[in-house]
Amino acid sequence: MRRKLRIGLVSPYGWDSPGGVQVHIRDLSKFLISNGHEVSVLSPVDNEESIEEDFVVSAGKPVAIPYNGAVARVLFGPVAASRVRQWISLGEFDVLHIHEPAIPSLGLLACSIAEGPIVGTFHVAAPKFKIAFAIVPIVEPIVERLRARIAVSEIARETLMSHIETDAVVIPNGINWDSFQGAKPRMEWQLGKTIGFIGRFGEKRKGLSLLIDALPKIIESHPDIKVLVAGPGDPDEIMKDVDPTLHPRITFLGLLSEDEKRQFFKSIDLYIAPNTGGESFGIILAEAMATGVAILASDLSAFRNVLEDGKWGELFSTSDSVDLARRASALLADPLRRQSLASQSSEGAKRFDWPVVAEQIMDVYDLVSGNGEKVVLASGNRAWSKLIRGRGE
Amino acid sequence: MSELEWILFILAALLFLWYLTFTASRLDRLHHRVETSWASLDALLQRRAAIALEMAHIPSLDPASAVVLTRSAYLAREAEMAERSEAEESLTNAIALIAESEDFHMEFPEISERLEVVTQRIRIAIGIHREAVATTKTQRSRLIVRIFRLSGTAPLPVVYPFEELPL
Repeated sequence: MRRKLRIGLVSPYGWDSPGGVQVHIRDLSKFLISNGHEVSVLSPVDNEESIEEDFVVSAGKPVAIPYNGAVARVLFGPVAASRVRQWISLGEFDVLHIHEPAIPSLGLLACSIAEGPIVGTFHVAAPKFKIAFAIVPIVEPIVERLRARIAVSEIARETLMSHIETDAVVIPNGINWDSFQGAKPRMEWQLGKTIGFIGRFGEKRKGLSLLIDALPKIIESHPDIKVLVAGPGDPDEIMKDVDPTLHPRITFLGLLSEDEKRQFFKSIDLYIAPNTGGESFGIILAEAMATGVAILASDLSAFRNVLEDGKWGELFSTSDSVDLARRASALLADPLRRQSLASQSSEGAKRFDWPVVAEQIMDVYDLVSGNGEKVVLASGNRAWSKLIRGRGE
Repeated sequence: MSELEWILFILAALLFLWYLTFTASRLDRLHHRVETSWASLDALLQRRAAIALEMAHIPSLDPASAVVLTRSAYLAREAEMAERSEAEESLTNAIALIAESEDFHMEFPEISERLEVVTQRIRIAIGIHREAVATTKTQRSRLIVRIFRLSGTAPLPVVYPFEELPL
């Protein structure tokens, strides 16, 4: 039996722009609500009318800044800060769960403004940046306020330890395992032998160009091979540098809905995740596993973890298009191996099912909020604010 | 000193004072974190001891196990801070002796499930407590904190030896 809690979640990125962190927060919120907790999510929002979830509160429009090899849609500044302040003081939360408290966005703001039972989740995996010496003294005293830290993967935990020297509990991202069962293939996506790719393919680190580099080699042994690319982005941008003879083999499907994504996994023969870096978790791999499809992924530490070192899918050496081509050709030539991978992998994804994952997150909530303390606005520098405002707390 | 120099001097002094109070509130917050994380851990350990006593009262349990469990559970519940770590450690060992056998899990699924849940939570609570202690210690070891005694009278937080052991 758990206490029913009022939980405030803070999303760092625009709610209506695609991204794993937002999906994680959305699904976690829905799960918490279905378990009887009260949830409010504060997030940057581009277009307020597009928001379907009634538990989302807009903190304003995000701005695009380059961060960790991608463009992040974040929000900060005095207006946002006053929104955060208002949301916290009206919310009377038992737990404040801040996502990405160290990224310059709402999370960092909320963390610097609030005090009490605060939990932070760190999603990012990134090498230590050169200007860390200048950033850490600002971020450290703020992140210090978190009562508990969660990292979504071993690599996110290592990132956290090397950046700001603080440890965290590892709790993976969640998926709705049940919803991936019993998906049916779609006729028009079964084009003989197909390789599938999902992701924001415009971003270099997602590795679509590596897959295209490997394609001629794969064609040598599988002349009928086709590639289906799903995800948001501009196909012309990618295709302008690609050998025109390859063009007919590559089809762009655009952004898929959740249902289409499942049909996609069921329709293709091999799912390839050729990412070259910057991946902290790889939720898409967990989803592919849950659906049941043969997987070939680069051996990034995040992917190795999800696939349990190759138990639930094969690995190739990251950024090596020759190795990618070799292993993809071998898998495509071996239908039995693919079938056995596809039929087993679903089992391996059960540990990412929301009931399993959320249970661990709720354990952390219980631990930090055990004494019934509420989240309040921080008194900042206590002695100083007393002096200036001439009143106590 | 000229007027400008005086103004700059006063500004610098004010800034320094501000920094001192900033660091003091930071430490205050950290001490609070250590206390609350220990309180959560303590509550969970008490719960574990209660479960251990329940286990000891299982009629079909052999008397030797029952004695060991009861003894270590009582010790863990009543130990003074100085003996607490040792008491928790021996309770951990006593529980492991009994609960790790396949039979126990098969025969008493309900109690072994509850034990598993509480143990998992203790693991997380230990992680949180250790982190709070480590951060607080790092901050307290800074020169400015020691010179100006910014941590006041708060005792230096410690990680107990039993927290280092696997559960």
